[in-house]
Amino acid sequence: MRSTMPTTRRVAIGAVLAALTATGVAACGSSESPSGGTDTAATGSAALTLEDGWVKEVTDAMSSPSPTMSMPSESPSADGDHMHGDGDHMHGADMSAPMTAMFGTLHNGSDEDVTVTGGSTPVAGTVELHETVRNDSGETQMQPKADGFVVPAGGDLTLQPGGDHVMLMDLTGPLANGSEATITLQTSAGDVTLTVPVRAFSGAEESYAPSPSSS
Amino acid sequence: MTSRPREAGDAAPRRRTVLLSGLAGAGAGVVTSAGAAVARERAAPRGGGGGGGGGGGGAPPAPPAAVARERSAPPPPDPRLTRARARGRAFRGEHQAGIIEAPPAYGTFVGLDLAEGTDRDAVRRLLTVWTDDIERLMDGRGPLTDLEPELAAVPASLTVTVAVGRRVVETAGSAVPSWLAPLPAFEKIDALDDRWGEADLLLQVCSDSPTTVAHAQRRLVVDAGDLVRPRWVQRGFREPFEGAGLPMRNLFGQVDGTVQPDVTGIDADLLWTGAGAPSWLRGGSSVVVRRIRMDLDRWDRADRVTRENAIGRRLDDGGPVTGGGVDAAADFSATDDLGFHRIDDAAHMRRAHASVPHERFLRRPYSYDDAPEDADLSNSGLLFVAYQADPVRQLVPVQQRLAEADLLNLWTTPVGSAVFAVLPGARDGEILGQAMLG
Repeated sequence: MRSTMPTTRRVAIGAVLAALTATGVAACGSSESPSGGTDTAATGSAALTLEDGWVKEVTDAMSSPSPTMSMPSESPSADGDHMHGDGDHMHGADMSAPMTAMFGTLHNGSDEDVTVTGGSTPVAGTVELHETVRNDSGETQMQPKADGFVVPAGGDLTLQPGGDHVMLMDLTGPLANGSEATITLQTSAGDVTLTVPVRAFSGAEESYAPSPSSS
Repeated sequence: MTSRPREAGDAAPRRRTVLLSGLAGAGAGVVTSAGAAVARERAAPRGGGGGGGGGGGGAPPAPPAAVARERSAPPPPDPRLTRARARGRAFRGEHQAGIIEAPPAYGTFVGLDLAEGTDRDAVRRLLTVWTDDIERLMDGRGPLTDLEPELAAVPASLTVTVAVGRRVVETAGSAVPSWLAPLPAFEKIDALDDRWGEADLLLQVCSDSPTTVAHAQRRLVVDAGDLVRPRWVQRGFREPFEGAGLPMRNLFGQVDGTVQPDVTGIDADLLWTGAGAPSWLRGGSSVVVRRIRMDLDRWDRADRVTRENAIGRRLDDGGPVTGGGVDAAADFSATDDLGFHRIDDAAHMRRAHASVPHERFLRRPYSYDDAPEDADLSNSGLLFVAYQADPVRQLVPVQQRLAEADLLNLWTTPVGSAVFAVLPGARDGEILGQAMLG
């Protein structure tokens, strides 16, 4: 574990399994263990790497809502204030299910585009690929990205607060600042397993629209 | 989110080469300025460095989805900026940075306390975050979560040095050095205020850019999350144009920082801990941070003869009143026509002079000049910062002599004091405090 401490510039890709075809938006929620376990050793055929990746800390996933991303139970358009305040968006019935997200720069070192189609992690029941858009009210909200993330050949895809990100939902426990999380991305080039540092962060408070058309 | 789109000038430099070179000396007479200055060649920035702005303003929030690696060349920068960008210092090594190098112009000292209930794992996580942050910041990059990495792009000799108090060592389950405790009380002079007192952790943040210092301090405190809480912040400055021809002066106008041990040479044992300290501290040191209030208003009433007599050095060039330049040895036995010592029996220089070779230490002081409180006209002084292998053996005897008799005590008052163990450097693959954490 320590060998992938955050000073590593690139978190290399794990085992490349048989390529999966696109599975649509929501990845399966099963938290099966990431395969391979070769967090640090990049395989020759590895297409994707993650640079400067991190996951937002979740201090208490099980009890009271933490100031992290939470899913409003109602339509996001019902309340226009919830994405701007410091915690004043923490309303609704699902506050006991905090979420968090992974950010960083995905780099495609191969000659072909790679599509990220989903993911899994032991720390969350569900992994989704999200984009951030404006709804009809001009508010910023995130929603699943229907076609996944395309990382162009030889190029990067930046995952950042306020932009595309990998959403971790139905967390199985707290994610402590300074610890690490293992996340497996399913891609058109196979599964890639990442060991990603967890960091305290007070941003990324956008509201969540469960389906792309909900706004 | 109010962040702005990433700009082309966003620098995410990568270290490519590390060159050791001599440093321009700090003050005349500062023997220890041969520390590792590091010049670096920086590769072209990439678009996707740590953090980065999302949408905002009138534009949709979606970020640049696929960022190509090429970018247009920026206009040629100001040569001063080029130098400041290139002046990064190496983070990894046997010792931490920020000790033997000539002190940059601005230094902020942050005392922090661990959160209640902190265990060893939490200390490890804290030092994991700080190690990563410090390595990036000293390299001119923002930490992982930094949405304003532009503020990190000019290291300007940035160093961040981490030191720990007794509680951290105990929490880590390691042996506590015998000297890791408050200095003995110096009852004749001390007026210690607990607001500048002992703390669980110390961050020393130094750079020639005060913006860089402020940003690094902010990120380190925020990125620690709820693991620590700041207890005090002490901001200091030195002479930005310090160097050959312009020595460090304190706010009394005295040349300061003369007569330092040769800690990069024969006096290295005076700086780095030896066999007398726990093995986890090998490569580390100790640091004493004392806040010395200087009564500028009372000092104003002293004429220059009185001022020179108080310290035993001339005000103009810092040389001993017995003659010679700032580096000259003082003639403590010289007498005047009346038979009195030319260097007063209670002159600061005489009282501070090492009576035995080991009563020396590396001073790295910064002045402070804060807003006056109450009805005072000034709130100024010196952040006395001393590094040594063993403060009880090296520093305390000197301090006891000064407390007993020192003409400068008429104008100076210690109002804060804290002692820390300076962690060894982090080698490749290590976090700061790795050996302490076992």
